[in-house]
Amino acid sequence: MERVFLLDPERSIQRSYQDLFLDLADFPQVRPLFQDGTPYLLFLELVASLVRGEKMELLDPDLSATERKRIKTDFESPQYGYSSDEIERFFMFEQLLDRIKHHSNDWRLSLYTSGTTGRPKKVTHSLGSLTRFVRKSKKHQSDVWAFAYNPTHFAGLQVFFQAFFNQNPMVYVFDMPRERIPTVLGQNKVTHLSATPTFFRSILPFFERPMLSLQAVTSGGEKFDSTLGDSLQKTFPNAKIRNVYASTEAGSLFAAEGDLFKIPEKKMEKFKILDSGELLVHKSYLGESEDFMMEGDWFHTGDIVQEVEAGLFRFQARKNEMINVGGYKVNPHEVEETLLSVPGIQEAIVFPKGNRVTGNILAADIVIEPGFPSVDEAEITRQISKHLQKWKIPRVFRFVEAISLSRTGKKERK
Amino acid sequence: MEKKILEIMNGIRRKHNLEELKEISSSQTLRGDFGFDSFDLAELTVKIEDETGVDIFENGIIDSVGEMLSRLGM
Repeated sequence: MERVFLLDPERSIQRSYQDLFLDLADFPQVRPLFQDGTPYLLFLELVASLVRGEKMELLDPDLSATERKRIKTDFESPQYGYSSDEIERFFMFEQLLDRIKHHSNDWRLSLYTSGTTGRPKKVTHSLGSLTRFVRKSKKHQSDVWAFAYNPTHFAGLQVFFQAFFNQNPMVYVFDMPRERIPTVLGQNKVTHLSATPTFFRSILPFFERPMLSLQAVTSGGEKFDSTLGDSLQKTFPNAKIRNVYASTEAGSLFAAEGDLFKIPEKKMEKFKILDSGELLVHKSYLGESEDFMMEGDWFHTGDIVQEVEAGLFRFQARKNEMINVGGYKVNPHEVEETLLSVPGIQEAIVFPKGNRVTGNILAADIVIEPGFPSVDEAEITRQISKHLQKWKIPRVFRFVEAISLSRTGKKERK
Repeated sequence: MEKKILEIMNGIRRKHNLEELKEISSSQTLRGDFGFDSFDLAELTVKIEDETGVDIFENGIIDSVGEMLSRLGM
């Protein structure tokens, strides 16, 4: 039986690895500046660029013209650019891997940071920095991946390379209606799923029973918390639950089983934690970019972490997310985690509301689990007051159907 | 309108498990009679502004309910 490469139920696309080989031969050109909303075309042209050693830049398909103008790309506009003289026809996967290896020193892929504030920054990665965490082995040959990230962003590319190098099927669920996802995972006997905590929280209410096929469930891109960890373990009882620390700039850096990341002893000199809690990464771990905030050889991640003991830390917040309430610095993640521990709250986002008394107070948008009887503001306040100081208690609540997400699928703080 | 303001103020009192008030009078004070602290006042002004578009503390923080109502044109 042919090995499935990609199943994309939303677009009725199913391609096997053999189809991919044929399509590679039929696609003489790849777009060096890629901006197209069809995941299969992205993967196809990405593989084509790899086997030919051609550079590629990925843009979000839904970037508006204004946003697009703020980005300085090497290429004018999305179009077919390179014309390769010799198009190879592949029959065997190993043959294709040889070509990729052959070009691996020249090949580069540029991505853009999501840039919620300011201009998106371009980061150029080599195959080495993109696949630092990718493991190819016999152990992985029967893995089946659900693809649940934006494929033009770093985390999505991680899943792509892990699946592709092991010739695993990928089932694309990133933009699928959430209520359909449990069925699709079940039908395809998905074994591996990696997604943001926000994505997990949006699908968990739709699982009617535990899903036994999952072997590994990975959370990345946002702060992981123990409430989510417990729910994931309950829904996926056979899965190893992992949490990955990665960034567009530096790629995947650490993995953890709970929320504590460990810096391996021999890599200790590559990381620094400032007194302010900000994590710095040595330049040898970075992709290439003109836009990095560097201090000497050190890159400022903008991530505030708490060092529990030497080499062991917990992510706290992004530096620019801290909210000043009456002179107290509040970490919105701490508040959101507490809100999420209240029965019936499926999703929560905390953001500042300005006023002349305390500078800011906290406001929260709350999504109640489908089918859960309503929970009111006073009741939520009573429950979280047991765990939080009073300036950390949101004072304005809005009950909403859904929380708006960034292109990466992360919650968007206003 | 006065009913709406009363509702906002009682919402804050409920969070402190304080008894709900039936009416507000101009002679009352926000901190003294209503027992509001700074965070309560912040909630009050944000919610009143959401409702009416008026920032009651625009020209300085006030404590008198009467002054607040007059700023709201009541």
